[in-house]
Amino acid sequence: MKSILALIRLELQMELRRKYALGGALLYVLSTVFVIYSSLQDAKELPWNALFWLVALFIAVNAVAKSFAIEQDGTQLYLYQLASGIHIIMAKIIYNVLLVMLLLSLSTVAFLLFLAIPILHMGLFFCTIALGSLSLGIVLSFISAIANKTDSSAVFTAILGFPVLLPILLSLIKLTEASFSEEMLPVSHDIIILLAIDTILLGLILILFPIVWKD
Amino acid sequence: MKRNWWKYLGAALVLYAIIVGISRPLNPGILQIDPIALEAGQTYDLNIATYNTNFTNGSDVDAFIKINDTFGIQSQSVVILEHNELKASFVIPEKLPSILQRERYSIILSADGLGTFIRPSALSIVQKEIDLNGAIAAWPSNDFGKFKRADRAQFPFRAILYESLRNLFYHVPMWFGMTFLLLGSLVSSVLYLKDNNIERDMMASSMIKVAVLYGILGCATGAIWARGTWGTWWTFQEIKLNVSAATLLLYFAYFLLRAAIDDEILKAKISSVYSIIGFVAAVFLLFVLPRMVGDSLHPGNGGNPGFGGEDLDSTLRTVFYPAVIGWTLLGFWLAQLSYRSEILQDYFLEKFD
Repeated sequence: MKSILALIRLELQMELRRKYALGGALLYVLSTVFVIYSSLQDAKELPWNALFWLVALFIAVNAVAKSFAIEQDGTQLYLYQLASGIHIIMAKIIYNVLLVMLLLSLSTVAFLLFLAIPILHMGLFFCTIALGSLSLGIVLSFISAIANKTDSSAVFTAILGFPVLLPILLSLIKLTEASFSEEMLPVSHDIIILLAIDTILLGLILILFPIVWKD
Repeated sequence: MKRNWWKYLGAALVLYAIIVGISRPLNPGILQIDPIALEAGQTYDLNIATYNTNFTNGSDVDAFIKINDTFGIQSQSVVILEHNELKASFVIPEKLPSILQRERYSIILSADGLGTFIRPSALSIVQKEIDLNGAIAAWPSNDFGKFKRADRAQFPFRAILYESLRNLFYHVPMWFGMTFLLLGSLVSSVLYLKDNNIERDMMASSMIKVAVLYGILGCATGAIWARGTWGTWWTFQEIKLNVSAATLLLYFAYFLLRAAIDDEILKAKISSVYSIIGFVAAVFLLFVLPRMVGDSLHPGNGGNPGFGGEDLDSTLRTVFYPAVIGWTLLGFWLAQLSYRSEILQDYFLEKFD
């Protein structure tokens, strides 16, 4: 447990020092919101669901992909050889989940402020963001670990990640659709499915990551 | 022969499924009835157009209108017009044993050699006053004897599907085969990660290769069927089509991943790990999501006539189960051939390099 916390603190320090991921992601949030604002001025009924999740996916994939790209540094490799594989991936997952949650909340705020997104059930929406960042964080962390072994890791994170994310995305989209609608739609089924798939994938990842890491 | 018996069995079963699946005729069916809106207390000459029948002037055909499980009306006379058209005259009693004023009733035809066939809820009959007891008391004879049986094996006649239900033997086994092949590749990948035998990884990749082939063929057979039944080659409204496409995307990404890594051992490890994660996602996509969504255009879901449970006719089962087994065995044979050719390629590359 201590080593996991130490590793998380390490990630945070690296991030604060270079500000690659956070700065880049903030830029993505603001630029996508700006593009949407300026190009869809006249449209009355915007497809909020689609817009939000497109932006969210874009930001999440780029943010998480960057966190693994810093591996090439020699000092990092030494530190990582001291810690066990499971601790490393747990630390990365926790860090990425929190990062994605921060970014998704920021993009929600941007959508609310600049685009007046009509969210009717705030509680459900934030619950969805929390679940979504959990799922996106878990899956994308592992996929970037795999994709990092190829030459063009950013491309592969997207290629490999998207089909695995698809069932998760479908449930998330249903949940946000429910938070836009006026009536109380039954969503417990989707939430359970999301939690189930997260648990299964997390378990598998904890088993499989040390194998990937041995190289 | 001892080691390869399953290959011959697979080939034989597929051949059987193809031949019998295409050649066995459909049950006769009722296509059109004219008129279909009747009134109680009148006499009608119903012109009935049928499908897959071979009536001649001397054919013994009976026609019935089924009111409910206890009561029915037999036709007064049946005149054969063409090999697939006849005229049946009915006398509808004043009062019907029904509590509704207007209701839809089924029509049944029973012919020698062809068997008995029904069109459910085909006729709508209106009665002026509702008198259940009076109707039951005044009902003419209800004893129709036995319905005639068909003297040949035939597939059920289903509305909307008609002849296209033969697709059941080619389209559905593709997906069964793909699932079994993906299961096999999962086992192979896990075994590779356990004992690092590169041949297991080759087997896994061969199985996924054939699984993707089966998936593409499944989509193709589905598209041909859909063109006939739904009127379009593809639609994005149907969940099963979307998740099949997503699963194929997932395994295309698997091959991209293999192509991007040069070192053989790293390639094997990374692709095995991805295929395990991908399998979980594929299971969710193919089996969990369609059941969650529920509404589907495929037969058997959302009010369409289907094949599952009590719908799957025994005559269909006699071809469907062998087809599934046969196509699956054929798939594993293909995977084994691909695996063997890969091993040979590696062997010759090493020898002559």
